[in-house]
Amino acid sequence: MNQKAPEYHEQVYQPEADTYLLLSSVKNEIRNGDMVLEVGTGSGIIAQACSERARCVATDVNPHACRMAHGMGVEVVRTDLYAGLKGPFDLIIFNPPYLPTAENERIDDWLEYALDGGMDGRAVIHQFASGLHRILHPYGRVLLLVSSLTGIQETRELFAEEGFLSFIVSEKTTEGERLVVFRITHDLCSLRG
Amino acid sequence: MKMETIEILCCPVCRGDLVLTSFKAVETEEGTTDIITGVLRCDACGINYPIAEGIPNLLPQEKKTDQ
Repeated sequence: MNQKAPEYHEQVYQPEADTYLLLSSVKNEIRNGDMVLEVGTGSGIIAQACSERARCVATDVNPHACRMAHGMGVEVVRTDLYAGLKGPFDLIIFNPPYLPTAENERIDDWLEYALDGGMDGRAVIHQFASGLHRILHPYGRVLLLVSSLTGIQETRELFAEEGFLSFIVSEKTTEGERLVVFRITHDLCSLRG
Repeated sequence: MKMETIEILCCPVCRGDLVLTSFKAVETEEGTTDIITGVLRCDACGINYPIAEGIPNLLPQEKKTDQ
């Protein structure tokens, strides 16, 4: 085991309430033998927990996050979402950048990539959903963290349009923000072509 | 990067298979091979994706013209 105490880099998103809510859902969902992908792993603490139970690979676009997660013993690939991965994965975990961000609010550093969800907060979630059929196993599950700031109903509709079912499996309210974890699966009964 | 991870990687541009060349690797306590430095090549695109400090970089790369 090459686990070390994490050394936080100022350009890496540090675990917050959303991280811990998602982590507890992951611990309920993960099965032995799952092939797991964590997209945008950040500090790597969720992927590290998964690696103890299953085969897990994590991605991030931020080089500092990649180094930090790798230092914690996580198998890391530097890529945009899951662009360089083939799949299929049984379990995909994603705590996306979900804060609505206007053009003039951008500061253009690595930490911002972890937060900036575009004008409506759903730009990166939309990109994630649009390629999901390629890498999610037919019976695979996604755990996605979303905030009320991002639009919970709008996110559900976004996945429905791509042919996925979503259920809320966990939630928490902090400082006027409602955080939920969606469990998303292929809608195998849908008539979508 | 673990040797077995090559099975689930693909070119981020064309989704084709990658060919691994290892420059520096270590054997882990679990008996697996960790690639520290190397290259993942997409023959279809003619692009080399570097592996450095044990981390493969599968961001789109500039194509280097051979001269």
